[in-house]
Amino acid sequence: MSKFVRSSSVCLCILALGLAMGALAHAQTPAAAAAPTATPSPLPATTKELATAVAQAPTTADLAKGDPGGTITGTVNDVPVTNPKVGLTLGDTANQVGQNKIAINFVWTLVTGFLVMFMQAGFALVEAGLCRVKNANHTYMMNFVVYGCGLFAYWLLGFAIQMGGAAGNGNLGGLQSLSSEHTMSLFHKTWGLFGGAGMFLSGHPYDVGVMVIFLFEMVFMDTALTIVTGACAERWKFLAFAVSSVIMGAITYPLYGNWAWGGGWLSQLGTNVGLGHGYCDFAGSGVVHAVGGITALAVSMIVGPRIGKFNRDGSSNPIIGHDISAVMIGCFILAFGWFGFNPGSTLGASAAGNLRIGTIAVDTMLAGCTGTFGALLFMWMKNGKVDASMSGNGLLAGLVAITAPSGFVSTVGAAIIGVVAGVLVCLSCSFIENVMKVDDPVGAISVHGTCGLWGVLSVGLLADGTSNYGGSWNGVAGSVTGLFYGDPSQLVAQLVGISTLIGFVFTLSFLINLCIELFVGQRVSVETEVAGLDIPEMGQLGYPEFVFRPEPESMQQAEAAYGVTSSVFAS
Amino acid sequence: MAANKSQGSYYTLFLVAATVLCAGLYDISSGIGILLLILGALGMVASLLGMLKIKSLEGRTALKPGPGFMKLIGAGVCALGWLITLYGMHLTPSVGGRLVLALVGISVSLFGIIVVLPAAFNKNAVWKA
Repeated sequence: MSKFVRSSSVCLCILALGLAMGALAHAQTPAAAAAPTATPSPLPATTKELATAVAQAPTTADLAKGDPGGTITGTVNDVPVTNPKVGLTLGDTANQVGQNKIAINFVWTLVTGFLVMFMQAGFALVEAGLCRVKNANHTYMMNFVVYGCGLFAYWLLGFAIQMGGAAGNGNLGGLQSLSSEHTMSLFHKTWGLFGGAGMFLSGHPYDVGVMVIFLFEMVFMDTALTIVTGACAERWKFLAFAVSSVIMGAITYPLYGNWAWGGGWLSQLGTNVGLGHGYCDFAGSGVVHAVGGITALAVSMIVGPRIGKFNRDGSSNPIIGHDISAVMIGCFILAFGWFGFNPGSTLGASAAGNLRIGTIAVDTMLAGCTGTFGALLFMWMKNGKVDASMSGNGLLAGLVAITAPSGFVSTVGAAIIGVVAGVLVCLSCSFIENVMKVDDPVGAISVHGTCGLWGVLSVGLLADGTSNYGGSWNGVAGSVTGLFYGDPSQLVAQLVGISTLIGFVFTLSFLINLCIELFVGQRVSVETEVAGLDIPEMGQLGYPEFVFRPEPESMQQAEAAYGVTSSVFAS
Repeated sequence: MAANKSQGSYYTLFLVAATVLCAGLYDISSGIGILLLILGALGMVASLLGMLKIKSLEGRTALKPGPGFMKLIGAGVCALGWLITLYGMHLTPSVGGRLVLALVGISVSLFGIIVVLPAAFNKNAVWKA
């Protein structure tokens, strides 16, 4: 009875919070923008005026005295002049303005890309920390090597498939050399399938703007690849992982990425069949996280559960990770990197509505915060204790879920999305483990797969119609708007994206990895698994100077059933 | 047997062949490109066959053979749900109708993932031994 009361209390609390947030959202009608005061028409600039400005600019002698206040550094003298005989012209000035816009956007996109790259360290810490000590080296190595596997595959082929037809991005100079999208005609409409320009970043795509977008998209792709390593840790053969990662980076991820971001058919659902603004995924809840989580599910099923995870009656045994400090620090690194993930997806900090980067960053923080609370409070009420690893997963769940809607929702929407994700990740972990009997050592399938799908869905529900990225999105004029703000067709577009993730991406990943199982073999031997993957696969323990405690008796019994005893543990 | 030199060799061949194959794709309009494409494809096949040859050296794994056909059926059901969703966008122009058909398609796919595939994999599961 008390369990029923507790569960009912949890549900009522969540419902009440949701209703309160919803009421607050509706009450907070954004104030109408103040009408701009009339300003006198500026006098047209003339070459004579520019010459006057040049004459009045600080001289070399002035600058030689130093500029502690920064008042004379950066003047009209710093604008490049095309023809020194003519002097500074309006054309020179306009060119510099344009180059400044592109330079700002380049720097923004690159720096945020660097932050996302650093997330690889966060993933490594979280995954290794949640695994047993005898597999630490192997788990760290998978996260280390996946960066190289993915980058190489993406450079060879993946980028071309994903972004080969992505020309038209005004933030980065147009990217006109990426103008090769293979299409097909169906139901009297043209649908993009995959790109063709950009292999080896050679030929016409050897372009400054293309290099920027390559770096940014590559680090996103690598995030998807690294998700799989967590779900399959502690029994995935390194060779199989290496082959699977290359194929995922070359084909699986870029294909869906093209459909959503590269001018493919999912993004065209708005222009072709009138479904909202087409499939909208601002920073990749679907493209990155759901693809990663769903592929992780497919591979986990094929690899099978760890020895000792499930008992003969189907009940599961907790297998505790070896380093909770690594998990917590890893989560913070991921949260930090997410400031690159979401705000960086504007691909610019100048023009075309890009000043919304502050809103996106705050939405990201808030969703992470409420995601943490959602998981922490749920587990506290359910088990009576605060669960550190699940709280970390709650933070990540909130961040994953806000990734798609971050560019389109208010802070209230972000908070709702986060708290739902925090509770959802706990329920999903339990379902996947206890009902589907799929072993996921780090909860990657739930964090990234389940919450990624929730993030995609939430765009169709909570996009508030106030964003403005150049007046249109996916070729459809206006702002992305969800069901609760008046556009139910956006929800349908999101559902098509979800169906594609579940129905196509899962099936493709499943079949590819079945082939890898056939040729390579996905799983290590029983002896290797029991001994720990570090020495058999890597040749060295993760912590060679430590003396390890024996594993729990239930684990020793399960391993003994195979006639194998572990060799790295103290007797 | 775990990691060994043969694995390293065949994976190196895999990466080199993938590079050559992609170089062929890049320049497919020329004769050299087609030659590279063929060489790359042959290299990929050779690497996979090599990995197959050394697969048995790994030794026994905890996995037991399962009903392969049922796994393919599960994947097929999953894909069928996606096709239902896509066709639904063409079948009706109404938002409500498309919403319903999208949900039907997603449900069919989830049935394949949550019911059919786990049943196939858990039939001879590791923990049932």
